[in-house]
Amino acid sequence: MSQEQVSISQPLVAPEVRRREQNARLTMLTLILPAILLTILFLYYPLVFIVRMSFTLADSFLSPTGPIFTLENYVAMTGRYLSNVWVTIKLAGLSTLVNLIFGFPFAYILVRKVRYRDLVRGFMVFPMFGALYVAFGMRFILLPGGMATPLLNALGIPNTQALYSLPSVVFAMSIFTFPFMVMNVGTALSNVDPVLEEAAACLGARPLQTFWRILLPLTRSGLIAGGLMVFGWNIGTFAEPLLLGTIDEQKSLAWTLYQRGVVQTDYGLSTAMGVVLLILAFTVTYFSLRYSRGALVE
Amino acid sequence: MKNFFTSRRLGDILSHAYIWFCLILFVTPFLALLGYSFTGPQGIYAVQNFQYVFGSFGKNLLWSFRISALTLLLDLMIALPAGYALVRYPFPGKRILFSALTLPLYVPGAVIGIALVLTYNFTYHIITSIWGLVFAMVVGTFPLMLTPIVVSLKDLPIAFEEAAQCLGATKWQTYWRVVFPLIGPGISAGLLLSFIIVFNEYLVTLFVHPPGVTTAPLRVFNLVRTAGLLPTTAALAVTMQLISFFAVLAFFRFFGTRYLKGTYLI
Repeated sequence: MSQEQVSISQPLVAPEVRRREQNARLTMLTLILPAILLTILFLYYPLVFIVRMSFTLADSFLSPTGPIFTLENYVAMTGRYLSNVWVTIKLAGLSTLVNLIFGFPFAYILVRKVRYRDLVRGFMVFPMFGALYVAFGMRFILLPGGMATPLLNALGIPNTQALYSLPSVVFAMSIFTFPFMVMNVGTALSNVDPVLEEAAACLGARPLQTFWRILLPLTRSGLIAGGLMVFGWNIGTFAEPLLLGTIDEQKSLAWTLYQRGVVQTDYGLSTAMGVVLLILAFTVTYFSLRYSRGALVE
Repeated sequence: MKNFFTSRRLGDILSHAYIWFCLILFVTPFLALLGYSFTGPQGIYAVQNFQYVFGSFGKNLLWSFRISALTLLLDLMIALPAGYALVRYPFPGKRILFSALTLPLYVPGAVIGIALVLTYNFTYHIITSIWGLVFAMVVGTFPLMLTPIVVSLKDLPIAFEEAAQCLGATKWQTYWRVVFPLIGPGISAGLLLSFIIVFNEYLVTLFVHPPGVTTAPLRVFNLVRTAGLLPTTAALAVTMQLISFFAVLAFFRFFGTRYLKGTYLI
Protein backbone atom coordinates (compact mmCIF):
# COMPACT_ATOMS: atom_id res chain seq x y z
CA MET A 1 0.00 0.00 0.00
CA SER A 2 2.70 2.42 0.97
CA GLN A 3 4.66 1.63 -2.15
CA GLU A 4 1.88 2.95 -4.37
CA GLN A 5 2.12 6.22 -2.50
CA VAL A 6 5.72 6.56 -3.46
CA SER A 7 5.29 5.64 -7.10
CA ILE A 8 2.85 8.53 -7.37
CA SER A 9 5.30 10.99 -5.89
CA GLN A 10 8.33 9.80 -7.81
CA PRO A 11 7.76 11.51 -11.19
CA LEU A 12 7.62 14.89 -9.45
CA VAL A 13 11.08 16.20 -8.80
CA ALA A 14 10.30 19.64 -7.44
CA PRO A 15 12.89 20.58 -4.75
CA GLU A 16 10.12 20.77 -2.18
CA VAL A 17 9.18 17.13 -2.79
CA ARG A 18 12.78 16.00 -2.79
CA ARG A 19 13.39 17.65 0.57
CA ARG A 20 10.31 15.98 1.99
CA GLU A 21 11.52 12.63 0.74
CA GLN A 22 14.89 13.16 2.38
CA ASN A 23 13.12 14.07 5.60
CA ALA A 24 11.06 10.91 5.37
CA ARG A 25 14.18 8.84 4.93
CA LEU A 26 15.73 10.47 7.98
CA THR A 27 12.60 9.84 10.06
CA MET A 28 12.52 6.24 8.94
CA LEU A 29 16.15 5.78 9.93
CA THR A 30 15.70 7.26 13.40
CA LEU A 31 12.63 5.10 13.95
CA ILE A 32 14.33 1.86 13.09
CA LEU A 33 17.78 2.65 14.46
CA PRO A 34 17.15 1.45 18.05
CA ALA A 35 16.06 -1.96 16.78
CA ILE A 36 19.10 -2.28 14.53
CA LEU A 37 21.46 -1.17 17.30
CA LEU A 38 19.89 -3.63 19.73
CA THR A 39 20.29 -6.63 17.45
CA ILE A 40 23.83 -5.67 16.45
CA LEU A 41 25.01 -5.04 20.02
CA PHE A 42 23.29 -7.96 21.69
CA LEU A 43 23.08 -10.57 18.97
CA TYR A 44 25.28 -10.15 15.91
CA TYR A 45 28.38 -8.85 17.64
CA PRO A 46 28.26 -11.56 20.35
CA LEU A 47 27.78 -14.21 17.67
CA VAL A 48 30.79 -12.95 15.72
CA PHE A 49 32.66 -12.86 19.02
CA ILE A 50 32.03 -16.53 19.75
CA VAL A 51 32.83 -17.55 16.18
CA ARG A 52 36.24 -15.88 16.58
CA MET A 53 36.68 -17.38 20.00
CA SER A 54 35.88 -20.87 18.76
CA PHE A 55 39.15 -20.82 16.81
CA THR A 56 41.26 -20.24 19.92
CA LEU A 57 42.67 -22.74 22.37
CA ALA A 58 40.72 -23.23 25.65
CA ASP A 59 40.70 -19.88 27.51
CA SER A 60 43.76 -18.46 25.75
CA PHE A 61 41.61 -15.77 24.10
CA LEU A 62 41.93 -13.71 27.27
CA SER A 63 45.43 -14.55 28.32
CA PRO A 64 47.89 -11.65 28.48
CA THR A 65 50.19 -13.39 26.00
CA GLY A 66 47.51 -13.23 23.35
CA PRO A 67 45.17 -15.81 21.88
CA ILE A 68 46.53 -19.03 20.44
CA PHE A 69 44.69 -19.73 17.22
CA THR A 70 43.91 -23.34 16.54
CA LEU A 71 41.47 -25.62 14.75
CA GLU A 72 41.62 -28.10 17.57
CA ASN A 73 38.12 -27.33 18.86
CA TYR A 74 36.58 -28.25 15.54
CA VAL A 75 38.75 -31.34 15.31
CA ALA A 76 37.32 -32.33 18.68
CA MET A 77 33.82 -31.60 17.43
CA THR A 78 34.24 -34.01 14.53
CA GLY A 79 36.03 -36.57 16.69
CA ARG A 80 35.56 -36.86 20.40
CA TYR A 81 32.36 -34.81 20.50
CA LEU A 82 30.77 -36.08 17.30
CA SER A 83 28.52 -38.36 19.34
CA ASN A 84 27.18 -35.28 21.16
CA VAL A 85 26.15 -33.78 17.81
CA TRP A 86 24.47 -37.04 16.85
CA VAL A 87 22.61 -37.31 20.14
CA THR A 88 21.30 -33.76 19.70
CA ILE A 89 20.15 -34.47 16.16
CA LYS A 90 18.64 -37.81 17.21
CA LEU A 91 16.63 -36.29 20.06
CA ALA A 92 15.33 -33.43 17.90
CA GLY A 93 14.60 -35.81 15.01
CA LEU A 94 12.72 -38.34 17.12
CA SER A 95 10.57 -35.70 18.80
CA THR A 96 9.82 -34.15 15.39
CA LEU A 97 8.72 -37.56 14.14
CA VAL A 98 6.47 -38.08 17.17
CA ASN A 99 4.98 -34.63 16.62
CA LEU A 100 4.34 -35.31 12.92
CA ILE A 101 2.64 -38.63 13.59
CA PHE A 102 0.45 -37.43 16.45
CA GLY A 103 0.09 -33.81 15.34
CA PHE A 104 -1.49 -34.44 11.95
CA PRO A 105 -4.58 -36.31 13.21
CA PHE A 106 -4.90 -33.82 16.05
CA ALA A 107 -4.83 -30.85 13.68
CA TYR A 108 -7.21 -32.59 11.28
CA ILE A 109 -9.80 -33.31 13.95
CA LEU A 110 -9.35 -29.84 15.42
CA VAL A 111 -9.95 -28.10 12.08
CA ARG A 112 -12.75 -30.35 10.77
CA LYS A 113 -14.74 -31.56 13.74
CA VAL A 114 -14.08 -29.59 16.90
CA ARG A 115 -16.35 -26.72 17.87
CA TYR A 116 -14.83 -26.05 21.29
CA ARG A 117 -11.57 -24.66 19.85
CA ASP A 118 -11.08 -21.95 22.46
CA LEU A 119 -11.07 -24.63 25.13
CA VAL A 120 -8.45 -26.59 23.19
CA ARG A 121 -6.34 -23.44 22.87
CA GLY A 122 -6.62 -22.90 26.60
CA PHE A 123 -5.30 -26.38 27.27
CA MET A 124 -2.61 -26.09 24.64
CA VAL A 125 -0.90 -23.08 26.17
CA PHE A 126 0.32 -25.11 29.13
CA PRO A 127 3.23 -26.85 27.39
CA MET A 128 4.32 -23.49 25.97
CA PHE A 129 5.16 -22.09 29.38
CA GLY A 130 8.42 -23.90 29.12
CA ALA A 131 10.16 -27.21 28.77
CA LEU A 132 11.39 -26.80 32.34
CA TYR A 133 7.97 -27.24 33.91
CA VAL A 134 7.09 -30.10 31.56
CA ALA A 135 10.31 -31.92 32.43
CA PHE A 136 9.86 -31.20 36.14
CA GLY A 137 6.30 -32.52 36.09
CA MET A 138 7.25 -35.63 34.12
CA ARG A 139 10.11 -36.33 36.50
CA PHE A 140 7.70 -36.22 39.38
CA ILE A 141 5.18 -38.46 37.61
CA LEU A 142 7.78 -41.08 36.72
CA LEU A 143 9.50 -41.09 40.10
CA PRO A 144 9.08 -44.30 42.15
CA GLY A 145 5.75 -43.87 43.92
CA GLY A 146 4.64 -41.24 41.41
CA MET A 147 1.45 -41.17 39.38
CA ALA A 148 2.74 -43.47 36.65
CA THR A 149 3.83 -46.24 39.01
CA PRO A 150 0.70 -48.45 38.67
CA LEU A 151 0.84 -48.16 34.88
CA LEU A 152 4.54 -48.97 34.77
CA ASN A 153 4.05 -51.91 37.13
CA ALA A 154 1.33 -53.26 34.89
CA LEU A 155 3.71 -53.03 31.94
CA GLY A 156 6.50 -54.58 33.95
CA ILE A 157 8.95 -51.67 33.63
CA PRO A 158 11.00 -50.63 36.67
CA ASN A 159 10.49 -46.99 37.62
CA THR A 160 14.08 -45.90 37.36
CA GLN A 161 14.32 -47.38 33.89
CA ALA A 162 11.35 -45.31 32.77
CA LEU A 163 12.51 -42.12 34.50
CA TYR A 164 15.98 -42.00 33.02
CA SER A 165 15.46 -43.08 29.45
CA LEU A 166 15.37 -41.91 25.86
CA PRO A 167 11.57 -42.28 25.48
CA SER A 168 10.81 -40.03 28.44
CA VAL A 169 13.14 -37.30 27.10
CA VAL A 170 11.58 -37.52 23.65
CA PHE A 171 8.11 -37.52 25.19
CA ALA A 172 8.79 -34.34 27.19
CA MET A 173 10.32 -32.62 24.14
CA SER A 174 7.33 -33.64 22.01
CA ILE A 175 4.81 -32.27 24.49
CA PHE A 176 6.69 -28.97 24.63
CA THR A 177 6.63 -28.48 20.85
CA PHE A 178 3.32 -30.16 19.97
CA PRO A 179 1.36 -26.87 19.83
CA PHE A 180 3.78 -25.42 17.28
CA MET A 181 3.29 -28.43 15.05
CA VAL A 182 -0.50 -28.32 15.37
CA MET A 183 -0.43 -24.60 14.58
CA ASN A 184 1.49 -25.11 11.32
CA VAL A 185 -0.41 -28.17 10.13
CA GLY A 186 -3.74 -26.70 11.21
CA THR A 187 -3.16 -23.57 9.13
CA ALA A 188 -2.33 -25.69 6.09
CA LEU A 189 -5.37 -27.93 6.65
CA SER A 190 -7.80 -25.06 7.06
CA ASN A 191 -6.81 -23.92 3.57
CA VAL A 192 -7.90 -27.27 2.11
CA ASP A 193 -11.54 -27.25 1.06
CA PRO A 194 -13.47 -30.16 2.67
CA VAL A 195 -15.31 -30.50 -0.64
CA LEU A 196 -12.19 -32.14 -2.07
CA GLU A 197 -12.38 -34.94 0.46
CA GLU A 198 -16.10 -35.41 -0.16
CA ALA A 199 -15.47 -35.56 -3.90
CA ALA A 200 -12.77 -38.18 -3.39
CA ALA A 201 -15.14 -40.22 -1.21
CA CYS A 202 -17.92 -39.91 -3.80
CA LEU A 203 -15.56 -41.15 -6.49
CA GLY A 204 -14.91 -44.26 -4.42
CA ALA A 205 -11.66 -43.46 -2.62
CA ARG A 206 -11.15 -45.15 0.69
CA PRO A 207 -10.16 -42.91 3.64
CA LEU A 208 -6.55 -44.00 3.42
CA GLN A 209 -6.44 -43.22 -0.29
CA THR A 210 -7.94 -39.79 0.37
CA PHE A 211 -5.25 -39.17 2.97
CA TRP A 212 -2.33 -40.25 0.77
CA ARG A 213 -3.44 -38.71 -2.51
CA ILE A 214 -5.44 -35.63 -1.49
CA LEU A 215 -4.65 -34.43 2.03
CA LEU A 216 -0.96 -35.21 2.24
CA PRO A 217 0.08 -33.52 -1.04
CA LEU A 218 -2.04 -30.46 -0.25
CA THR A 219 -0.65 -29.96 3.26
CA ARG A 220 2.92 -30.90 2.46
CA SER A 221 4.33 -27.40 2.90
CA GLY A 222 2.63 -27.04 6.29
CA LEU A 223 3.97 -30.38 7.43
CA ILE A 224 7.49 -29.55 6.30
CA ALA A 225 7.40 -26.07 7.85
CA GLY A 226 6.01 -27.44 11.11
CA GLY A 227 8.50 -30.29 11.20
CA LEU A 228 11.46 -28.00 10.59
CA MET A 229 10.25 -25.49 13.15
CA VAL A 230 9.86 -28.15 15.81
CA PHE A 231 13.25 -29.59 14.92
CA GLY A 232 14.84 -26.15 15.18
CA TRP A 233 13.29 -25.52 18.59
CA ASN A 234 14.29 -28.90 19.94
CA ILE A 235 17.87 -28.74 18.74
CA GLY A 236 18.66 -26.51 21.72
CA THR A 237 17.06 -28.86 24.25
CA PHE A 238 18.44 -28.30 27.73
CA ALA A 239 16.23 -29.17 30.69
CA GLU A 240 14.65 -32.37 29.34
CA PRO A 241 17.83 -34.47 28.92
CA LEU A 242 19.16 -33.11 32.18
CA LEU A 243 16.12 -34.00 34.26
CA LEU A 244 14.86 -37.09 32.44
CA GLY A 245 17.74 -38.58 30.48
CA THR A 246 20.57 -41.00 31.04
CA ILE A 247 24.23 -40.09 30.57
CA ASP A 248 23.69 -40.65 26.85
CA GLU A 249 20.91 -38.11 26.47
CA GLN A 250 22.78 -35.66 28.67
CA LYS A 251 25.38 -35.43 25.94
CA SER A 252 23.06 -33.01 24.14
CA LEU A 253 25.01 -30.03 22.85
CA ALA A 254 23.29 -27.25 24.79
CA TRP A 255 23.96 -28.90 28.13
CA THR A 256 27.54 -29.90 27.28
CA LEU A 257 28.16 -26.34 26.09
CA TYR A 258 27.04 -24.99 29.45
CA GLN A 259 29.28 -27.36 31.37
CA ARG A 260 32.38 -26.81 29.24
CA GLY A 261 31.89 -23.06 28.98
CA VAL A 262 30.54 -21.83 32.29
CA VAL A 263 31.61 -24.57 34.68
CA GLN A 264 35.01 -25.58 33.23
CA THR A 265 35.78 -22.29 31.39
CA ASP A 266 37.01 -24.09 28.27
CA TYR A 267 35.73 -21.20 26.15
CA GLY A 268 37.23 -22.43 22.88
CA LEU A 269 35.45 -25.78 22.91
CA SER A 270 32.25 -24.38 24.33
CA THR A 271 31.96 -21.69 21.66
CA ALA A 272 32.76 -24.24 18.96
CA MET A 273 29.75 -26.23 20.21
CA GLY A 274 27.71 -23.05 20.11
CA VAL A 275 28.73 -22.44 16.51
CA VAL A 276 27.78 -25.99 15.50
CA LEU A 277 24.42 -25.58 17.24
CA LEU A 278 23.93 -22.22 15.54
CA ILE A 279 24.68 -23.66 12.09
CA LEU A 280 22.23 -26.51 12.67
CA ALA A 281 19.51 -24.13 13.86
CA PHE A 282 20.01 -21.64 11.02
CA THR A 283 20.01 -24.28 8.31
CA VAL A 284 16.74 -25.64 9.62
CA THR A 285 15.24 -22.17 10.02
CA TYR A 286 16.20 -21.20 6.48
CA PHE A 287 14.28 -24.12 5.00
CA SER A 288 11.42 -23.69 7.43
CA LEU A 289 10.95 -20.05 6.41
CA ARG A 290 11.12 -21.03 2.75
CA TYR A 291 8.28 -23.48 3.21
CA SER A 292 6.12 -21.37 5.48
CA ARG A 293 3.73 -18.73 4.32
CA GLY A 294 6.28 -16.16 3.21
CA ALA A 295 7.50 -12.99 4.79
CA LEU A 296 5.22 -10.57 6.57
CA VAL A 297 6.52 -7.30 5.24
CA GLU A 298 6.26 -6.23 1.58
CA MET B 1 -27.65 -47.05 5.79
CA LYS B 2 -28.00 -47.60 9.49
CA ASN B 3 -24.58 -49.20 9.57
CA PHE B 4 -23.08 -46.13 7.88
CA PHE B 5 -24.39 -43.83 10.57
CA THR B 6 -23.13 -45.92 13.45
CA SER B 7 -19.63 -46.24 12.01
CA ARG B 8 -19.56 -42.51 11.47
CA ARG B 9 -20.65 -41.89 15.01
CA LEU B 10 -17.98 -44.28 16.24
CA GLY B 11 -15.42 -42.29 14.24
CA ASP B 12 -16.62 -39.06 15.82
CA ILE B 13 -16.40 -40.48 19.29
CA LEU B 14 -12.91 -41.77 18.64
CA SER B 15 -11.83 -38.40 17.21
CA HIS B 16 -13.02 -36.47 20.22
CA ALA B 17 -11.55 -39.07 22.54
CA TYR B 18 -8.20 -38.58 20.79
CA ILE B 19 -8.36 -34.80 21.23
CA TRP B 20 -9.17 -35.16 24.90
CA PHE B 21 -6.48 -37.75 25.41
CA CYS B 22 -3.89 -35.31 23.99
CA LEU B 23 -5.27 -32.39 25.98
CA ILE B 24 -5.05 -34.37 29.21
CA LEU B 25 -1.49 -35.30 28.33
CA PHE B 26 -0.65 -31.59 27.93
CA VAL B 27 -1.86 -30.66 31.38
CA THR B 28 -0.73 -33.83 33.17
CA PRO B 29 2.70 -32.44 34.14
CA PHE B 30 1.02 -29.33 35.49
CA LEU B 31 -1.69 -31.26 37.35
CA ALA B 32 0.86 -33.61 38.87
CA LEU B 33 2.83 -30.65 40.19
CA LEU B 34 -0.36 -29.02 41.41
CA GLY B 35 -1.27 -32.13 43.38
CA TYR B 36 2.24 -32.48 44.72
CA SER B 37 2.41 -28.84 45.79
CA PHE B 38 -0.40 -29.47 48.29
CA THR B 39 1.30 -32.34 50.08
CA GLY B 40 2.99 -31.65 53.38
CA PRO B 41 4.94 -33.60 55.95
CA GLN B 42 2.07 -33.90 58.43
CA GLY B 43 -0.96 -34.53 56.32
CA ILE B 44 -1.80 -35.03 52.71
CA TYR B 45 -3.12 -31.52 52.38
CA ALA B 46 -1.05 -28.46 53.19
CA VAL B 47 -1.12 -24.84 52.15
CA GLN B 48 2.19 -23.99 53.82
CA ASN B 49 4.01 -24.59 50.53
CA PHE B 50 2.28 -21.64 48.99
CA GLN B 51 3.02 -19.49 51.99
CA TYR B 52 6.62 -20.47 51.36
CA VAL B 53 6.30 -19.33 47.73
CA PHE B 54 5.31 -15.82 48.75
CA GLY B 55 7.66 -15.77 51.72
CA SER B 56 11.01 -17.29 50.91
CA PHE B 57 10.57 -17.31 47.16
CA GLY B 58 8.96 -13.89 47.22
CA LYS B 59 12.11 -12.10 46.21
CA ASN B 60 12.57 -14.46 43.26
CA LEU B 61 9.06 -13.76 42.09
CA LEU B 62 9.69 -10.06 42.56
CA TRP B 63 12.83 -10.25 40.43
CA SER B 64 10.87 -12.09 37.74
CA PHE B 65 8.21 -9.38 37.70
CA ARG B 66 10.79 -6.60 37.72
CA ILE B 67 12.81 -8.10 34.84
CA SER B 68 9.60 -8.78 32.88
CA ALA B 69 8.35 -5.21 33.36
CA LEU B 70 11.63 -3.63 32.28
CA THR B 71 11.88 -5.97 29.30
CA LEU B 72 8.35 -5.29 28.14
CA LEU B 73 8.87 -1.54 28.41
CA LEU B 74 12.07 -1.65 26.36
CA ASP B 75 10.48 -4.08 23.88
CA LEU B 76 7.67 -1.66 23.32
CA MET B 77 9.94 1.37 23.00
CA ILE B 78 12.02 -0.39 20.36
CA ALA B 79 9.41 -2.39 18.47
CA LEU B 80 6.76 0.32 18.04
CA PRO B 81 8.87 2.76 15.99
CA ALA B 82 10.59 -0.08 14.16
CA GLY B 83 7.26 -1.66 13.19
CA TYR B 84 5.94 1.70 12.03
CA ALA B 85 9.04 2.33 9.91
CA LEU B 86 8.89 -1.16 8.42
CA VAL B 87 5.28 -0.85 7.34
CA ARG B 88 4.85 2.83 6.47
CA TYR B 89 8.13 3.79 4.85
CA PRO B 90 9.39 2.26 1.63
CA PHE B 91 13.05 1.34 1.45
CA PRO B 92 15.15 -1.26 -0.32
CA GLY B 93 16.03 -4.50 1.44
CA LYS B 94 13.07 -4.31 3.78
CA ARG B 95 12.48 -8.03 3.75
CA ILE B 96 16.09 -8.82 4.59
CA LEU B 97 16.08 -6.27 7.39
CA PHE B 98 12.91 -7.77 8.86
CA SER B 99 14.45 -11.24 8.74
CA ALA B 100 17.65 -9.93 10.35
CA LEU B 101 15.65 -8.31 13.14
CA THR B 102 13.57 -11.43 13.83
CA LEU B 103 16.50 -13.83 13.65
CA PRO B 104 17.06 -13.88 17.46
CA LEU B 105 13.93 -16.04 17.69
CA TYR B 106 15.69 -18.88 15.94
CA VAL B 107 18.97 -18.83 17.83
CA PRO B 108 18.99 -21.56 20.51
CA GLY B 109 18.88 -20.15 24.03
CA ALA B 110 22.14 -21.79 25.04
CA VAL B 111 23.97 -20.11 22.15
CA ILE B 112 22.59 -16.66 23.01
CA GLY B 113 23.53 -17.39 26.61
CA ILE B 114 27.16 -18.33 26.02
CA ALA B 115 27.66 -15.54 23.45
CA LEU B 116 26.26 -12.89 25.78
CA VAL B 117 28.00 -14.06 28.93
CA LEU B 118 31.35 -13.95 27.15
CA THR B 119 30.82 -10.52 25.61
CA TYR B 120 29.43 -9.15 28.88
CA ASN B 121 32.47 -10.43 30.69
CA PHE B 122 35.17 -9.39 28.30
CA THR B 123 33.87 -6.58 26.09
CA TYR B 124 30.95 -4.75 27.69
CA HIS B 125 31.86 -5.37 31.35
CA ILE B 126 28.24 -5.35 32.47
CA ILE B 127 28.12 -8.85 33.92
CA THR B 128 27.25 -7.54 37.39
CA SER B 129 24.49 -5.21 36.25
CA ILE B 130 20.89 -6.23 35.89
CA TRP B 131 20.74 -4.42 32.53
CA GLY B 132 22.77 -7.17 30.95
CA LEU B 133 20.04 -9.64 31.84
CA VAL B 134 17.31 -7.25 30.75
CA PHE B 135 18.90 -6.65 27.34
CA ALA B 136 19.41 -10.38 26.86
CA MET B 137 15.66 -10.77 27.40
CA VAL B 138 14.85 -7.82 25.13
CA VAL B 139 16.85 -9.11 22.19
CA GLY B 140 15.21 -12.53 22.50
CA THR B 141 11.64 -11.30 22.74
CA PHE B 142 11.42 -8.11 20.75
CA PRO B 143 10.72 -10.05 17.50
CA LEU B 144 7.63 -11.41 19.27
CA MET B 145 6.56 -7.84 19.87
CA LEU B 146 7.50 -6.64 16.40
CA THR B 147 5.57 -9.28 14.46
CA PRO B 148 2.05 -8.56 15.80
CA ILE B 149 2.67 -4.82 15.50
CA VAL B 150 3.72 -5.22 11.87
CA VAL B 151 0.69 -7.39 11.16
CA SER B 152 -1.80 -5.01 12.74
CA LEU B 153 -0.22 -1.94 11.11
CA LYS B 154 -0.50 -3.61 7.73
CA ASP B 155 -4.18 -4.27 8.40
CA LEU B 156 -4.75 -0.61 9.28
CA PRO B 157 -5.58 1.48 6.20
CA ILE B 158 -3.35 4.53 5.87
CA ALA B 159 -6.52 6.57 5.25
CA PHE B 160 -7.06 6.98 9.00
CA GLU B 161 -3.76 8.74 9.43
CA GLU B 162 -4.27 10.85 6.33
CA ALA B 163 -7.70 11.86 7.52
CA ALA B 164 -6.35 12.83 10.93
CA GLN B 165 -3.65 14.96 9.37
CA CYS B 166 -6.07 16.58 6.92
CA LEU B 167 -8.17 17.57 9.91
CA GLY B 168 -5.18 19.33 11.40
CA ALA B 169 -3.68 16.78 13.77
CA THR B 170 0.07 16.91 14.26
CA LYS B 171 2.21 13.81 13.73
CA TRP B 172 2.26 13.06 17.47
CA GLN B 173 -1.47 13.55 17.84
CA THR B 174 -1.98 11.15 14.96
CA TYR B 175 0.15 8.50 16.65
CA TRP B 176 -1.28 8.86 20.13
CA ARG B 177 -4.93 9.32 19.31
CA VAL B 178 -5.38 7.38 16.07
CA VAL B 179 -2.67 4.83 15.37
CA PHE B 180 -1.94 3.47 18.85
CA PRO B 181 -5.56 2.87 19.85
CA LEU B 182 -6.27 1.16 16.54
CA ILE B 183 -3.33 -1.24 16.75
CA GLY B 184 -3.89 -1.76 20.49
CA PRO B 185 -4.87 -5.43 20.20
CA GLY B 186 -1.72 -6.15 18.19
CA ILE B 187 0.43 -4.40 20.78
CA SER B 188 -1.13 -6.33 23.62
CA ALA B 189 -0.69 -9.60 21.73
CA GLY B 190 3.01 -8.79 21.56
CA LEU B 191 3.03 -7.87 25.24
CA LEU B 192 1.37 -11.16 26.16
CA LEU B 193 3.77 -13.30 24.14
CA SER B 194 6.84 -11.48 25.41
CA PHE B 195 5.59 -11.62 28.98
CA ILE B 196 5.04 -15.37 28.85
CA ILE B 197 8.48 -15.99 27.39
CA VAL B 198 10.40 -13.62 29.71
CA PHE B 199 8.47 -14.60 32.82
CA ASN B 200 9.28 -18.29 32.32
CA GLU B 201 12.77 -17.92 30.86
CA TYR B 202 15.47 -19.84 32.74
CA LEU B 203 18.05 -20.83 30.11
CA VAL B 204 19.54 -17.49 29.04
CA THR B 205 19.08 -16.29 32.62
CA LEU B 206 21.20 -19.20 33.84
CA PHE B 207 24.08 -17.88 31.74
CA VAL B 208 23.83 -14.11 32.20
CA HIS B 209 22.17 -13.55 35.56
CA PRO B 210 24.18 -11.12 37.70
CA PRO B 211 25.32 -12.40 41.08
CA GLY B 212 22.53 -12.17 43.63
CA VAL B 213 19.75 -12.01 41.08
CA THR B 214 17.79 -15.25 40.80
CA THR B 215 14.51 -15.15 38.93
CA ALA B 216 11.76 -17.57 39.89
CA PRO B 217 12.18 -20.00 36.94
CA LEU B 218 15.92 -20.09 37.54
CA ARG B 219 15.24 -20.85 41.20
CA VAL B 220 13.01 -23.74 40.12
CA PHE B 221 15.74 -25.02 37.84
CA ASN B 222 18.44 -24.76 40.50
CA LEU B 223 16.28 -26.43 43.13
CA VAL B 224 15.25 -29.29 40.86
CA ARG B 225 18.89 -29.85 39.99
CA THR B 226 20.35 -29.69 43.47
CA ALA B 227 17.64 -30.28 46.07
CA GLY B 228 15.63 -32.98 44.35
CA LEU B 229 11.87 -32.72 44.22
CA LEU B 230 10.41 -30.64 47.01
CA PRO B 231 6.72 -29.75 47.36
CA THR B 232 7.75 -26.11 47.77
CA THR B 233 9.55 -26.13 44.41
CA ALA B 234 6.44 -27.64 42.85
CA ALA B 235 4.38 -24.88 44.44
CA LEU B 236 6.65 -22.23 42.90
CA ALA B 237 6.43 -23.86 39.46
CA VAL B 238 2.65 -24.09 39.79
CA THR B 239 2.41 -20.43 40.78
CA MET B 240 4.47 -19.38 37.74
CA GLN B 241 2.32 -21.44 35.38
CA LEU B 242 -0.90 -20.17 36.92
CA ILE B 243 0.17 -16.52 36.57
CA SER B 244 1.07 -17.14 32.91
CA PHE B 245 -2.18 -18.97 32.33
CA PHE B 246 -4.27 -16.18 33.80
CA ALA B 247 -2.44 -13.68 31.60
CA VAL B 248 -3.44 -15.76 28.58
CA LEU B 249 -7.02 -16.16 29.81
CA ALA B 250 -7.35 -12.42 30.38
CA PHE B 251 -6.10 -11.78 26.87
CA PHE B 252 -8.55 -14.29 25.36
CA ARG B 253 -11.33 -12.67 27.34
CA PHE B 254 -10.58 -9.12 26.18
CA PHE B 255 -9.33 -9.59 22.64
CA GLY B 256 -10.24 -13.12 21.53
CA THR B 257 -7.74 -15.31 19.73
CA ARG B 258 -7.73 -13.45 16.41
CA TYR B 259 -4.70 -11.30 17.15
CA LEU B 260 -2.50 -14.24 18.04
CA LYS B 261 -2.79 -15.76 14.56
CA GLY B 262 0.52 -16.54 12.94
CA THR B 263 2.33 -16.00 16.20
CA TYR B 264 3.25 -18.51 18.84
CA LEU B 265 -0.04 -19.01 20.62
CA ILE B 266 -2.00 -20.45 17.70
